[in-house]
Amino acid sequence: MTTPRLETRDLALGYDGSVFARGIDLAVLPAQIVAILGPSGSGKSTLLGTIAGVVRAAGGAVLVDGDDVTRAPIHERGIGLIFQEPLLFPHLSVADNVAYGLRRHGASREAARARAAELLAWVGLSGYEGRSVDELSGGQAQRVALVRALAPRPAVLLLDEPFSALDRDLRQRLAREVADLLRQEGVAALHVTHDPEEASAMGDRVVDLTDLFGS
Amino acid sequence: MPRWLSWAWLVPAAFLAAFLAYPLVVLLRTVGTGGADGALARLASASIWQVAALAALQAVISTLLALVVGLPIANVVTRYRFPGRALAQALVTVPFVLPTVVVALAFRSLVGPGIAQGFALVVIAHAYVNLAVIVRIVGSQWAQHDADYENVARTLGATRWRAFVDVTLPSLRPAIVSSATVVFVFSFTSLGIVLLLGDASTRTLESYVLRQTSVLLDFPGAAAAALVQLVLVTAVLLSGAVVARRSPTRRMRPLSLRPLPAQALARAAVIATAAVSFVIVLAPIVALVASSVRASGGWTIDWWASMGSVDAGTTRIGSPASALGTSLRFALVTAIVAAVVGGLAAVAVVVPGRTRVVALLAMVPLGVSAATLGLGTLLAFGRPPVDLRASGLLIPIAHALVAVPLVVAVVAPALRGTDARTMQVAASLGARPTRAFLTAYGPVLRVVMVASAGLAAAVSLGEFGAASFLSRSGAPTVPVQIVRLLSRPGEQSTGVAAALAVVLVVTTLALVLVVDRLGRTRRTA
Repeated sequence: MTTPRLETRDLALGYDGSVFARGIDLAVLPAQIVAILGPSGSGKSTLLGTIAGVVRAAGGAVLVDGDDVTRAPIHERGIGLIFQEPLLFPHLSVADNVAYGLRRHGASREAARARAAELLAWVGLSGYEGRSVDELSGGQAQRVALVRALAPRPAVLLLDEPFSALDRDLRQRLAREVADLLRQEGVAALHVTHDPEEASAMGDRVVDLTDLFGS
Repeated sequence: MPRWLSWAWLVPAAFLAAFLAYPLVVLLRTVGTGGADGALARLASASIWQVAALAALQAVISTLLALVVGLPIANVVTRYRFPGRALAQALVTVPFVLPTVVVALAFRSLVGPGIAQGFALVVIAHAYVNLAVIVRIVGSQWAQHDADYENVARTLGATRWRAFVDVTLPSLRPAIVSSATVVFVFSFTSLGIVLLLGDASTRTLESYVLRQTSVLLDFPGAAAAALVQLVLVTAVLLSGAVVARRSPTRRMRPLSLRPLPAQALARAAVIATAAVSFVIVLAPIVALVASSVRASGGWTIDWWASMGSVDAGTTRIGSPASALGTSLRFALVTAIVAAVVGGLAAVAVVVPGRTRVVALLAMVPLGVSAATLGLGTLLAFGRPPVDLRASGLLIPIAHALVAVPLVVAVVAPALRGTDARTMQVAASLGARPTRAFLTAYGPVLRVVMVASAGLAAAVSLGEFGAASFLSRSGAPTVPVQIVRLLSRPGEQSTGVAAALAVVLVVTTLALVLVVDRLGRTRRTA
């Protein structure tokens, strides 16, 4: 049987000692995109934050490629995270944003820059390398955030409603585009959204959050 | 808009012209005249530049120390939720509102006679006073910094420290630069602390100016040093503003406090930082209070009991109580003058047209040091043909100049934040222009004017630099009296000085509390 790239076992979510969801069992197989559908305020972001290590798990375990990372620090988990907003570092150029993770993983400045240029070309942003992130449109910024997260080749990518700040047309187009890119690269991803159309456009498998928390 | 309002700017303009511009011109003229022995020649004198270099070094180290202590405190008191957080935040502000002379005396009381005065003590006291500048300015930026930026960096492989250096620090850079600039300028132009805690080699241009004027009667030398300081301070403030502005925009988040960290070590660090901030702020104040009731033989109330006596502290320059009377009188006049002048300058911001430039000009005294102001005023109005020394107005005028920028800073935003359409509604209901203006702005003005007058009074009570130039020997203000007492040997003078300082602390804090309370009522109204 294939080892899931990401797995949660009996995971519990909560803040400050109070638990609001428990018993969460979830698996994302290699090159699989799982979409989780749930209304706003239902705990989707907390689920992703807990998997990434931003929020401490109230119980249970998170496994990446079969290894328990529940107590591992964020930067050692091999999990990429994209937020609702691109959160590009405003003091760095577009290319330096993309190169950031590569540099943290030991790539030389030149190698990181070259790889960043390739990745930017891949999402149609050739020629934007030296630009300030303030010059990007919402869709462009989210594409840069995507390749920035993919650059260090995380085992799994978490997407927290990354298109919700965009208008409807762009949202649907970008969702399809990103799903295609992730499949091309064979990246395992967990995508949460409140939009059923986006969930079915992105996901190989769609899971309802209430089912997940209820299990 | 009532017609008289478009002329309101004339009052602050005339005040600034007469009491800021004219004294500065006289100062410059003093520099320009005098031939080979004149101040122009003094500009080339090595001693001025030696003092300037030493003061700059001292100010850089003071600023670095304030940052090292202030940044962790800013992080803790503005970002985490814990019992006593609001108190800690308020407490950190206390050293900043205390008169510098009081802070200096408090540090003397804290370290006792065993530790030598000098460079290190001056630097520590400067960092103490300016802690609030760092915590307030950097803290307000930090509180709004979106922690998800660091989380992104962490998921990309950055350690906690690396994410702080790569992401958080650049975001705080404008706030760090502007607060560091302010701390540098305060430390570079410090007077009270340098006089009371420094040694012969720890000087600022400010103390140099005072010495040249009052001990050596060398006015050209003093004027030259004041000019050098004015130019250097302006250059630092301008370059600070330029660096702080050159900074990218980023997503800000509405303020919300976060729970204490879950990790035991991180949680302990936060709690320890908060506890240390309490100790740092309170220790000198407690030491000051203690030394007002201590003699070599044990506890005593003698120093307090002798407050009404001319012989107290053996100065024979008037009783501590009479100095308090003088200070309170000056504070009252300062409050009225600063509120009227600053209030009218602030009103200019809501009047259409170019008059709002007056509100900007009213901020200029901020960049002029107390000694420059004091010396300029003394040269302009302290000798014939215009000798105002006997009138008792020189100190309140100099204090009002120091306080006017603060009044404008309090009143102008309040006026700007008021909906001008209320005035149009009142006018459409038949109100005459003045009545319509008062209907719209009256309620806000009443509160902020009282608050800013209180602030001006607090400034006047604690101000030492200008007062040390302008005080007449028979009628010193409290800070001047404290410094005179401390220049005399004997535990009685120290004890009486400490008692006077405690009175000043209580009065100043009471005023600041009232101002703060008024500010809150306005926000919730």
